[in-house]
Amino acid sequence: MTLIRSLTFQRAPLLILATFLVPIAATAQAGDPALQSQLIEKLLQRIDQLEKRVTELESARPGAPAAQAVVSAVQPAPIPAEKTSAAEPAAMVPSQSAGMSHDHGAPLETPASYPLFRLSGFGDINYTANDRAGSHPGFNEGQFILHISSALSSRVTYFGELSMTARTDAGTGSPAVTGFNVEVERSLIRYDQSDHLKVSFGRYHTPISYWNTQFHHGSWLQTTASRPEMVQFGGNFIPVHFVGALAEGSFAAKGLNLNYNAGIGNGRSSVLTRDGDWGDVNNHKAWLGTAYIKPDWLYGLQVGGSVYRDKINAIGRPESREWIESAHVVWNKENPEIIAEFFNISHQQPGSSVVTNNQAWYAQFAYRLPFADHWKPYYRYEYIHIPQSDAIFRGLNLGLSGSTLGMRYDISSFSALKLEYRNQKRPGLPNTNVIWAQTSFTF
Amino acid sequence: MTILRTTFLSLLLLMSAAGATSVAIVVSPDVPVDELSFSEVRKLFLGERQFWTPRLRVVLLMRAPVAPERNVVLRTIYQMSEAQFRQYWISKVFRADVSAGPKIVYSTEMANDLVNAIPGAVAFIDAAQIPKGLKVLKIDGKLPGDKAYPLH
Repeated sequence: MTLIRSLTFQRAPLLILATFLVPIAATAQAGDPALQSQLIEKLLQRIDQLEKRVTELESARPGAPAAQAVVSAVQPAPIPAEKTSAAEPAAMVPSQSAGMSHDHGAPLETPASYPLFRLSGFGDINYTANDRAGSHPGFNEGQFILHISSALSSRVTYFGELSMTARTDAGTGSPAVTGFNVEVERSLIRYDQSDHLKVSFGRYHTPISYWNTQFHHGSWLQTTASRPEMVQFGGNFIPVHFVGALAEGSFAAKGLNLNYNAGIGNGRSSVLTRDGDWGDVNNHKAWLGTAYIKPDWLYGLQVGGSVYRDKINAIGRPESREWIESAHVVWNKENPEIIAEFFNISHQQPGSSVVTNNQAWYAQFAYRLPFADHWKPYYRYEYIHIPQSDAIFRGLNLGLSGSTLGMRYDISSFSALKLEYRNQKRPGLPNTNVIWAQTSFTF
Repeated sequence: MTILRTTFLSLLLLMSAAGATSVAIVVSPDVPVDELSFSEVRKLFLGERQFWTPRLRVVLLMRAPVAPERNVVLRTIYQMSEAQFRQYWISKVFRADVSAGPKIVYSTEMANDLVNAIPGAVAFIDAAQIPKGLKVLKIDGKLPGDKAYPLH
């Protein structure tokens, strides 16, 4: 009886604590019941921990009766570490299930857990309408994207990205074609030696464009519904994909935080919109170099540029050397968000001194409203100039000037609604007005 | 003694709720760093620095949402909301910059235990709850409690 009274006396303050704090938590989080429940649960877990600690202290007192351990609602105590090597993480109980990985709560890696496979996805459903003759407004399924990452060891990781896109000729032909094109958008394996050097091999989104490597196929990640035309998937302007090898890394550089990419690969295939997945079409490898800085003193700023060199042997086009130079300036906060890129693509046929320059640029501005932070209006202007003398891009109707004006609304942490209006003018063609509504999400 | 401890914890929780939490950056004993600049701490937590040395990888531990310490870190280091923080790490994994986001810990005790046990681990805890023997990093030459310490 004395023991029970003693233990009750010890626990009374804890119960008082819970009684005292729960209303405080409720008041503090009055506007969000889900958050309130979460906070209450955390506080109760904390009380459990404190009770357990009291029990342990009582057990440690000389002559004190052994008390029954209170089962903690939190994870059990981790197994003491075994240092297998400096490069391998310790053997630990995973902190949570792999299902939490999308909330960036990945399981703790152990040698026994490799390969550590994670799957996530992106998707978008769209409704578009335009005033082009013969077009019909309607829904389309956008792209269904699966993203795979798998840590094979503490230094070796595999990344993959699959896309499924609806075909316009689905069901036609004999045998009938399927409803969707499946593409391996990215597939690469990377070895991390240090922050200064990471080497990878595979298929990439060519790292000569900020947009191309920042957003990939995840439309939920980008503010706008549509990509700039110059970096469109399946577009001709820049080589969107690259198959080869890449070295990358970063250096502090006295606070400049200099990042680099250097790559060599197959370059464009005989189809301008494709890269050489199956091999190279000529004996000249494409190579690229990218550098950008993210200075410490201006957190959010990124400034950089790239060079790319290839030899093109495309169907219906003369053999040409291709130089691509690009530059970008980005302020990647949300108040505002500013993205601007410039590209110059030069073509020169062997034996000719004539060089044609094709130029494109865009500037995008967005701002998450401080008084209504689910809303993010945006505007983008883009321009592409193709000289008529360019033998590679001639006849592809790539020239463009246009504005995009829209609004993004974040329905939840992982899904968004976007509505945008686009006005596009191509040389020799009437202006086109487009309304585009999209719901994009990640899962 | 237990009453005093409980009262102290209650006051601490109240202070935390009022936003007065000072956050300490703690690392595992094998981390060969005693001091970092605020910018270097930011690079760690953004996942831009992934190695302490070529032989020791950074293991980033984050407190689960709602913890006051997490709010301090989001506000001062990341300068992001919860939604922006989620999108940041989803994007970083999708870009193949990292294979996974930070590991989640649910309590100060759990953070303490894992920091001591995992080579290369770095976490943040309430400066008022630093247990003895845990390695605390100086930031810009300052420890929690010093004037102009940046994480509070």
